[in-house]
Amino acid sequence: MIRFENVRKKYGDTVILDNLSFNIEPGEFVVLIGPSGCGKTTTLKSINRLITPDQGKIFIDGQDISEVNPVKLRRKIGYVIQQIGLFPNMTIEQNIGIVPKRLKYSKSKIKEITRELMEMVDMSFEDYAHKYPSELSGGQQQRIGVLRALAASPPIVLMDEPFGALDPLTRSTLQDEIVKLHKKLKKTIVFVTHDMNEALDLADKIIFMEKGEIVQMATPDEMLAHPASALIRDFMRKSSSSADSSDLTAADFMKTKFFSVYKKRSIRECTDLMARQHIDSLLIKNDDNTYAGIVTIRAIKKHGKSSGSIGDITPHVNITSNISENAKESFDKLYATDDNYVVVLEDDNTIAGIITKTGMATAMADTLWGDMQ
Amino acid sequence: MNISIILEHFYLVFMSVLFSVVVGLPLGVLAYLNQTLQKIVLWVVEILQTIPALALLGLIMIIFGAGKLTVIIGLVLYSLLPIVHNTFIGLENVDSGIKEAGKGMGLTKYDRLISVEIPLAFPMIFTGIRIATVTTIGVAVFATSVGGGGLGSIINQGIRTQNMELIIFGTLALMIMAIFFDMLMIWVNGRLVKRSSN
Repeated sequence: MIRFENVRKKYGDTVILDNLSFNIEPGEFVVLIGPSGCGKTTTLKSINRLITPDQGKIFIDGQDISEVNPVKLRRKIGYVIQQIGLFPNMTIEQNIGIVPKRLKYSKSKIKEITRELMEMVDMSFEDYAHKYPSELSGGQQQRIGVLRALAASPPIVLMDEPFGALDPLTRSTLQDEIVKLHKKLKKTIVFVTHDMNEALDLADKIIFMEKGEIVQMATPDEMLAHPASALIRDFMRKSSSSADSSDLTAADFMKTKFFSVYKKRSIRECTDLMARQHIDSLLIKNDDNTYAGIVTIRAIKKHGKSSGSIGDITPHVNITSNISENAKESFDKLYATDDNYVVVLEDDNTIAGIITKTGMATAMADTLWGDMQ
Repeated sequence: MNISIILEHFYLVFMSVLFSVVVGLPLGVLAYLNQTLQKIVLWVVEILQTIPALALLGLIMIIFGAGKLTVIIGLVLYSLLPIVHNTFIGLENVDSGIKEAGKGMGLTKYDRLISVEIPLAFPMIFTGIRIATVTTIGVAVFATSVGGGGLGSIINQGIRTQNMELIIFGTLALMIMAIFFDMLMIWVNGRLVKRSSN
């Protein structure tokens, strides 16, 4: 069991960990999550003494870790990091064997362990053991990173955003594998992430941190059902597929990258801009920044003259949405109109963004299948 | 007679670089490991480099007398900078993720240094040794001024007797020697780091 007792850490005047106390039970898969700077990585790194708290104590199985030799402590705790950190000058076999070799395991034993571990992630010993890390893909490298952490069968494994740098497909494969490994090997895993989907998929228990404090410590189901703060709800909504979509507004789906011009801009400048950006219409603003309408390339052609200002052409007043309008209403408007987008306005009638048909499709896909990024 | 002078020159260069590595490598490692010593070490080797080679040899001759020992000491001091510097930079630049992984898995400071950091810094360190070698081949010309012999003596003799052939012979021999070692060491380095390079 890992126990934190009133752990505090400050860097200068900034409080990183504020009187942190909690327990992690043996065999639990615990995910630390929260906004950046919330102290989740500091918490993780104080377990293997890469960071020393200013106050408070951390116990592993009843023993105060500040009294354990850090090298001995770390050899009993697996460690996986986002940058993977395989040693490029060593083969895969040598990398996996790093800690066992230092714990004086026999050569044949190390080989046996390596073979067994590699089989668990479907990497053949014959094909990969003698390769160097640079000869492997990112996903394969991190698989080896995980195996290396498991090699000396430590009861605890720490993982600091281990899959953060991998592409989504590889990430989800590795997530499945880590769940399988956890079920099979029954390790205590402490896992840091900022991806709520990952936390919900992997964790037995999620610890949500903010400003060095625990906001909520709960199972994924509990946290989904009763998020303890608005921030947690926000994290859930951003990344969870089961988020309630009825309270999404136009602001959640609009594109904030759009092209708008004042009425006094010359027509020639406007056509140049449209050609450069490959767009066929521009949003027109009045001098007080309020929305005036749109001018399409067709309207400019109809106008005939390329001299004069864009304000000479009567803008087509596109259908608009208010920024706080329910997303569904905006989508309905978009369905109903022949235009390619709905203009989203702030309360003072300035332009906030546009909702395009592709934007809508992406948003619906996200809501259905989770955040695609 | 000319061959023996080339060999003499080579001997001076070889001994100097050898001792420079023996002294410089640990100094570079020390600078990497110890923040306080780091400034002093890097500062001293830089200062040494700013002393004109001839003056440095002259100063050492006052203490050790004329001869090969003086030359080798002088050349060692003179070629410390690239070796110390590259060792330090090479170790500093080892990827921080690799260093952290090593530390987090329970490798001791020295274990990390020997098993991971020095091997990874090696190309950089070796480049330092190569620069030191090529520089030393040129600087060793001054050996003759403090009784150390080498190709400098041929050039000197050429200058004294206004013998164009001798000057050209000495210069060409030096240039070929420098280019040869430069290319040889680039090749060796390439061979050594071929597989594990990232």
